[in-house]
Amino acid sequence: METKIVSKRFHIPESYKLEVAKKHGVYGSLEKLFTMTPDEVITAVEKSNLRGKGGGGASCGQKWRYMPLNDPRPAYLIVNADESEPGTFKDREVMDKDPHLLIEGIICSSYAMNIHTAYIYIRGEYKWLADRLNTAIDEAYEAGIIGETLMNGACDFKLDIVVHRGAGAYICGEKSALIESLEGKRGHPRLKPHQKECEWYFGDPATVNNVETIASVPEIVEFGYEAYTKHGTPKSPGTMLFALSGPVKNPGVYELAFGHKMIDVINTLGGGMKDGKKLKAVIPGGVSCPILTADEVNKAVLDYESMWDIGSTLGTGGMVIIDEDACMVEVAKNIIEFYHHESCGQCTPCREGTGWIDTILHKVIHQQGKLSDIDNISDVCGTLNGKTICVFAPAVADIIGSIVVKFRDEFETYILNNQGAEHE
Amino acid sequence: MSNIVNIVIDGKEVEAEKGAVLIDYLFKQDIDIPHFCYHPALGTDGNCRMCMVEIEGSKRPQISCDTPVKEGMVVRTQGENIEQVRRDILELELINHPVDCPTCDQAGECKLQDYYMAGGFYESRLEAESKVKAKKAVDLGKNVMLDQERCVLCTRCTRFTDEITHTNELGIFSRADHSVISTFPGQELESDYSMNIVDLCPVGALTSKDFRFNQRVWFLESFEAICSGCSKGCSIHVDHKKEKYKDDQIFRFRPREDHDVNGYFICDDGRLSYKDENDNRLNDASINQETVSTKEALTNIADVLTANPNDTLLLVSPFLSNEELALIKEYTLNNGTTLSGYSPQYYDESFADDMLRTSDRSPNRAGMMALRINENEKDFNELLSQKKVIVVIENSYFEDKAELFKDKKVILFSSKDTKVKEFANTVLPVASFLEKDGSYTNSESVTQHIKSGIRKNAPVGTLTSLWKAIESLSKEKA
Repeated sequence: METKIVSKRFHIPESYKLEVAKKHGVYGSLEKLFTMTPDEVITAVEKSNLRGKGGGGASCGQKWRYMPLNDPRPAYLIVNADESEPGTFKDREVMDKDPHLLIEGIICSSYAMNIHTAYIYIRGEYKWLADRLNTAIDEAYEAGIIGETLMNGACDFKLDIVVHRGAGAYICGEKSALIESLEGKRGHPRLKPHQKECEWYFGDPATVNNVETIASVPEIVEFGYEAYTKHGTPKSPGTMLFALSGPVKNPGVYELAFGHKMIDVINTLGGGMKDGKKLKAVIPGGVSCPILTADEVNKAVLDYESMWDIGSTLGTGGMVIIDEDACMVEVAKNIIEFYHHESCGQCTPCREGTGWIDTILHKVIHQQGKLSDIDNISDVCGTLNGKTICVFAPAVADIIGSIVVKFRDEFETYILNNQGAEHE
Repeated sequence: MSNIVNIVIDGKEVEAEKGAVLIDYLFKQDIDIPHFCYHPALGTDGNCRMCMVEIEGSKRPQISCDTPVKEGMVVRTQGENIEQVRRDILELELINHPVDCPTCDQAGECKLQDYYMAGGFYESRLEAESKVKAKKAVDLGKNVMLDQERCVLCTRCTRFTDEITHTNELGIFSRADHSVISTFPGQELESDYSMNIVDLCPVGALTSKDFRFNQRVWFLESFEAICSGCSKGCSIHVDHKKEKYKDDQIFRFRPREDHDVNGYFICDDGRLSYKDENDNRLNDASINQETVSTKEALTNIADVLTANPNDTLLLVSPFLSNEELALIKEYTLNNGTTLSGYSPQYYDESFADDMLRTSDRSPNRAGMMALRINENEKDFNELLSQKKVIVVIENSYFEDKAELFKDKKVILFSSKDTKVKEFANTVLPVASFLEKDGSYTNSESVTQHIKSGIRKNAPVGTLTSLWKAIESLSKEKA
């Protein structure tokens, strides 16, 4: 069932070491890379229809095209390793088990966009992974893979890679907030530009890509876009690292071509539900997506378009499985607590709305709920949707709003049964 | 290619500059689009999300402060949908706000209060005890107090210290609805312009330590004037109040938008200089330290002037208006007295900065120079030694130099109570800078006119009226 492209070396012991990874083919794409022009690399990535794996799913090649050509300013590649979406733990696997694949991907991408400095912005809590990346980067410098030239002079192209640890804010996974943070400022998302353009790091052109996206590039360079597009569906070609968490028998990260049925993945790779429990719901791509009921899960297919068709999104591919024992009111409370804590506080609706929903659910759980609270939550979700600078608030509206709509009867029962009695 | 395009705002066709910010054109159409974070001096930040409008062809409502004008754009600020959107956001703005207007100094000039009243949010959907609590009455530095609960986090104040004064004292701390504005640890507001954040703050979060709790703003009247604190002559609003049976009192100066002079701001020293108008005033006319009526003093002055015109030095100052200076200059030309504008005491290099403040702490030296009134030191000293009658008009040069008056007959016109009066033979109080009409020319040659709105129960005569009285008395004698 699995299609291993990014995860091809994950099973090899000590694959994070340069000598081990090299034996198993890391940096194999570079010989081919140096025979290509930068434009050819971007064209290959465009034709592969590689899509951003950080949750947005935008075309990676198109994004690269926004970088200005023949610009005198320095350009930057910023690798987004701020993986903080709940239920998502795929990038850490790449950095933990195959950091040299990420470096290889950075070399390919930087070469394509004529970038000589790449930053890896890694979330603060991933201290051990920052150490692992730094070790790998040191190995790469020492082996002459990066630095003043690439591959010991095989290509006269200077490239430096710097790991920068964030301070652990969820919002810094949003690319413009990430750049603000990298510039040393408070991580507030920037206003969206009025036309399609690249990002700007200290006023210089920059591209922000997810770890997994960058790690997918070497395959496309080495074997051509055709090798990549033969997997998956026509519109969602290639593979993605899907993460399964929750009460399944084998939670973990699995690399799959797009187009598998969600329920099959849960039942085969995931090994089915633990203790014979019934599946109740799945939040499909990190918690920032509308929830799917068991019925919807049976219909869901894991590619971007199919997920949109059933009213959710593929997101980061981190599936949070919820079984029949879970109380959806408490699920919603758990999730909103996270968002309330992580809202950057810049836009009014998000700053005040997340806290308000949290307060309402706190009261519901502490026996002071009223049936009108359900509509209040829906109202606030409406205000959160589409009225803020970044997509944090719409994500809250998606998940909380969908839980309240799809499990409304459970909220009503909970409120009626718990009025005046402290819930245990 | 012309940059002017046609757009439609609420059904009305309007010409606008392509690429300009839409919200500016809403203001120009007198549409009071609710907003907190946008300010023309600070630009777009887009965080309050209040200024939402509908734009035809756009899926979602757009914030007008971040919408560039485009040809053919059709904008709606009214209608059930968009008004509901703004209401929803306003409700969130208020959800953790204490709504303590009765004890808030901003009441009456608070944007949030205006919108709240217009929106009719009298009953919150969140109980008061569930609201997020924060610090009240935080002392931010020499002139400003902060109430974190009232703050709507529009970041105007932090952007002011970052982008305008570059002093960076303020930042946002914590996240979500626990976000607060504060100074960085160990730092205080120290900028000479820090009180501008009180004006910038659209709500009652930042208040002036000087003004707070002194007066309800709806009792204040206001007139337009300029600041006399330095030769920049910043445009200001003078907020004053006259209580029955009492004299008018000035409560504060506020900056007045003027792109020829000061832009949007004024310095703190200028702002607090209103106190000079209220305090330490000279009230009584006197002759040889004996209080007399104005009429007696005027007669006395007219006598002295007509008796010794060739032995009289008139010392005027750059605090006088162009009209007053012209009047006295004309008198000198007609009567043979001598005139000087020597006033080095108003120069203070340490006061100047690269924003608004200049080293000349007087408002009308340029006007005085335009009238070719001599302020040369050597000439002045020569005249001082020669002339027997010295008429000092609103000039503080002799403040600590009264010994120079030895063997002189001294006539003093002053709005301030000064110890020089003890050495003067005749003393006559005059109306102060803001109690009279007049025009002043600043260091950049911009001439501004003040029409005073101050009312007193027993008004002190203006220099112009008093001088004209002296002239007619002199003529009677002649």
